[in-house]
Amino acid sequence: MDGTSREARLNAAFVAVADSLTEHYDVVDLLHTLVSECTQIVGATAGGLMLADAQGRLQLIASTDESAELVEVMQLAAGVGPCVDCFNRGAAVSVPDIAGSGGQWPDFSAAALGQGFHSVHATPMKLRGEVIGTMNLFLAATGALTDRDEAVVRALADVATIGVLQQRIATESHIVADQLQRALDSRVLIEQAKGAMAEALNLTMEQAFTALRSYARNHNLTLNEVSSMLTTRRLSPQAVVDAKSNAAP
Amino acid sequence: MSDTSTAAELCDLYVDNVPVSGASITVFRNPGTQSTICTSNEIAAQLDELQFDLGEGPRWEAARSGRPTGSDDVSSETHPDWPVFGRAAAELGVGALFSFPIRIGTVLLGVADLYRLTPGALDDAATSRALSISHRVAVPAAETARRSADSPLSEEGRTAPALRREVHQATGMILVQLDVDADVAFGLLKAHAFAQSRSVEDVSHDVVARRIDFRELTREP
Repeated sequence: MDGTSREARLNAAFVAVADSLTEHYDVVDLLHTLVSECTQIVGATAGGLMLADAQGRLQLIASTDESAELVEVMQLAAGVGPCVDCFNRGAAVSVPDIAGSGGQWPDFSAAALGQGFHSVHATPMKLRGEVIGTMNLFLAATGALTDRDEAVVRALADVATIGVLQQRIATESHIVADQLQRALDSRVLIEQAKGAMAEALNLTMEQAFTALRSYARNHNLTLNEVSSMLTTRRLSPQAVVDAKSNAAP
Repeated sequence: MSDTSTAAELCDLYVDNVPVSGASITVFRNPGTQSTICTSNEIAAQLDELQFDLGEGPRWEAARSGRPTGSDDVSSETHPDWPVFGRAAAELGVGALFSFPIRIGTVLLGVADLYRLTPGALDDAATSRALSISHRVAVPAAETARRSADSPLSEEGRTAPALRREVHQATGMILVQLDVDADVAFGLLKAHAFAQSRSVEDVSHDVVARRIDFRELTREP
């Protein structure tokens, strides 16, 4: 690749990765873009990207093709292989000659060579010491990546890592906000149901609450569910106290 | 440290670090389920209540736009988005209002309402401190609101009315009195308070104490 076309290629790759970082981006799309751009830039045959799950195990998230063979090579690489080494160390692991890698990972080496892969380059996806996964590029030729290629792949992986982490923060924010909203909605419903009980049966708010809670417990319902049934008239105040004689004041 | 002092400290963060006279923090997804976390003084409490009752004011504008909003000179500027609240705030002697959205990540959780007795804009440094405090208070404000909502016991007071439970109890009573749904009952309660120039909480208190019955209010003369 000459200087101009290489520069154009790199620009296009960064634009493609940045483009997938729009407001409602999909992480899997982003990672597919990343791995396919990097595969083309370094002239690899195949690439796969793995992220650690909640238990810290690497899972294949995106790859240049979905063939069972490539999936198997990736899984072996993540079990006892260069991917897991890269992940554990948080540093790139380059295997310029898989056949001559000295039986370090016999199962991985056999599967990779069987697919015609002779070198592999694993780049960590990490930000400030936190390693979230690895990107793995398989080449038909032996030899290490050039320093320039390695730097580009690392830069693209860094951008994508920020994207993944941002999306995780956004997801956590939604969880906090949803839990809060549920708590507020639920409390409003319960207070409305207390008011409805108190009005219909001339109870105090405390008596109304006791009756609602007792009905909920006796019917394996949540207080929220009973309150909702009551305020939408799927349950009458009288039925709440009739259901169990000791629920009435 | 008790829960109430923690909540009050969230308001103090603004008052101690931004040149304003008072602050309140509310958490909500919609105006009906607003939870007031803290109000730093009586005027802040009244501004909070007015915005709850009227459903208009810089708080709701900040929530809609997701941007800080307000008025540098409440009594001389016009407020097309909140005319009734603007007049009421000026009558309370409020000179300037500054509302800051409170977010976790990209999700809006609530608003901090700051006011100053004297007119005038916040300078850039003060605005930037208020923005940074709004970032810091988000998680504790959400936790305070959730803890308060989860508790069956009401610990509501004048300066931290939280969810205004009596308002929702009164809504439930009106729902039975008039055989309407909860949204209609809540709307009628607010309309009655507005027509009587009373606060929704005040009217709700009378409904819960059975001094007001909406069957009688709506009966044809």
